[in-house]
Amino acid sequence: MIRFLVPLTYGVLSALPVAADTRQAVFDHIMPRYATFAQSAQSLAEVSAQDCLVKGMLPQYHAAYDAWVSVSHIQFGPVEQRSSAPALSYWPDPKDRTGKAIARLIAEGAAPLADPDEFKEVSIAAQGFPALERLLTEDQPDPDAACVLRRAIATFIAKTADDLNKDWQSGFGADFAKSETQAYQTPEETRRALYTALSTSLAFLHDQRLGRPLGSFDKPRPTRAEARRSERSQRHIILSLSALDDLTRTAFADVTTPQLQSAFNEAIARAEALNDPALAGVADPAKRFKVEVLQRAVRDVQEAVAKQIAGALGITAGFNALDGD
Amino acid sequence: MPSRRRFLQTSLATAALPARAWADAGAPTHLSAARTPEGKHSLVGLRADGSRTFALPLPSRGHAAAVHPTRPEAVAFARRPGTYALVIDCALGRTMQHLTAPEGHHFYGHGTFSKDAKTLFTTENHIESGQGRIGVWDAAGGYVRLGDFSSGGIGPHEILRQPGREMLVVANGGIRTHPDQGRAKLNLATMQPNLTMMRPDGTALDVASLPAEQHQNSIRHIAAFDDGRVAIAFQWQGDPYAAPSIAGVYSPQEGITLLRMSDAVLQGLDGYAGSVAVLDHRHMAVTFPRGGVLQVFDTETGSTLDLRQPDICGVAIAQHGAMATDGLGNVHVLTPQGARRLAQHDLAFDNHLIRVANA
Repeated sequence: MIRFLVPLTYGVLSALPVAADTRQAVFDHIMPRYATFAQSAQSLAEVSAQDCLVKGMLPQYHAAYDAWVSVSHIQFGPVEQRSSAPALSYWPDPKDRTGKAIARLIAEGAAPLADPDEFKEVSIAAQGFPALERLLTEDQPDPDAACVLRRAIATFIAKTADDLNKDWQSGFGADFAKSETQAYQTPEETRRALYTALSTSLAFLHDQRLGRPLGSFDKPRPTRAEARRSERSQRHIILSLSALDDLTRTAFADVTTPQLQSAFNEAIARAEALNDPALAGVADPAKRFKVEVLQRAVRDVQEAVAKQIAGALGITAGFNALDGD
Repeated sequence: MPSRRRFLQTSLATAALPARAWADAGAPTHLSAARTPEGKHSLVGLRADGSRTFALPLPSRGHAAAVHPTRPEAVAFARRPGTYALVIDCALGRTMQHLTAPEGHHFYGHGTFSKDAKTLFTTENHIESGQGRIGVWDAAGGYVRLGDFSSGGIGPHEILRQPGREMLVVANGGIRTHPDQGRAKLNLATMQPNLTMMRPDGTALDVASLPAEQHQNSIRHIAAFDDGRVAIAFQWQGDPYAAPSIAGVYSPQEGITLLRMSDAVLQGLDGYAGSVAVLDHRHMAVTFPRGGVLQVFDTETGSTLDLRQPDICGVAIAQHGAMATDGLGNVHVLTPQGARRLAQHDLAFDNHLIRVANA
């Protein structure tokens, strides 16, 4: 009897809360974050319209970037349909496409940048936060052109954030919560999308946000830290971990475990205790180990997520994506 | 998904027929290796409507298959570094013969038949030297091993025959591996992939490669246009965020040209293309399973049609457009109007979808 009861019970357990947790993820986690992003991006655009000087824009830049990093782990739906993520945050950028694109735009003259329709067509490496960061932190040979470009980027970010927020509010959110979108038609598919967002964002945190600057012990790469110029590298790690923790508590409330929660708590505590805003410490043996320990703590979260959430939901990693040929 | 009952009935019905031609009832239009929910591996036949004809057990994970030009027969290969190949009667859904790579060789997972159907060619690794070899088998005489010749490079992966001609095209991926070290890549710093056009006796007629700064763009999967051009799907071995385009076309006049891919799409692909299919004289489809993207390229205008589907990988021409499969068990149909899910199976479809000739 037991052999038959186990799958049946499992079926009931996983079938009922599916919709409830997806709803909670949509209405308590995803949509409020897009709303905050749209609001803060709007403030950024407004302040840039009045004052596109560095000092005037910095607070709103930080607030809007915070809001984006806090929702950038949602990689499905409107953000995917619009291909917005690479434009908002073109990083990693090992070929310095952002630097080159900015230099080219400024050399070509700033006039076309003021037209949002024309700005849509420029290199995506120059459209989002990484480009704005450069223009807010580096000396500009042509201050007027830099000013116009800052304003153009702020306007682009605000428009993108508004589009995404409206998409979620005007139907996609409710449809996704019901598993009734074109791409996600069953509770299993919506949950898999949420799970993929969680697992790929953790991998990005481990491999890119931490792995890139860490490099190797003999060859640390502090200049590869994300958003290091505005000293946001550590902040992105904290924000991202907190967002993923919150996603887990909402989307996977039925299957999350105390071990997973404590793995998140451990990683967040270590990220907060780092005291290394641009991760420059990766090149200092005395400070480097703290970043390495944090990376291991993220690995522990990844393993707990794979084992406890994927295991409970019967989600297997992408067969073709995992180990290709 | 067909019920188990219906599946059984279908198998029985086809088993009763003296099926000897592709067009017979129950014969699949496509083949794919797959993993079952129990973690076992099988070769699955699919009909045009996405339903399953047969599922044959495989000894271990499979990869691609070579389709006989006239008989309803295919040879399914082990995934590298496997050593088995199975000759399958596709109409009956039965294994007819087991082939084994010769001592000291392993298969890379792909193969093709000569136009006259007398010979089967397989991509192989000569393990000790790491040199790529093309195995030659007597397809008309019980698949006796006849010998092998150089593939023209290291790590030959997909091999095909130019349509209507006795000319082979080999994608030498450039990556050296050794079974003792699993699937570890041993020569990424010095790898030199190439595309080699050769006669069936191994005489190279043309060798195409990329500029030196793109030597880490491994040439893995290929598909032939009717006019001598070859569609290429690459796997970039450098920093994935520094990847150039990973889709291209070879032409006898111009060599290899990379197709334009937008930064927004390329950024999410991990430098990895899984499969490629030529759809007509100008369109080709490339899958990017790590990015969950399928792109149809118009080689005349450079425009693309982008479709998103997690873990999509297998793609092949079909009667009306193309068929594609993913690791979640879905079978999709692609038409100029877009994509539609045809069927869902309790299977994870593996890398390649193979179109069965004349079906």
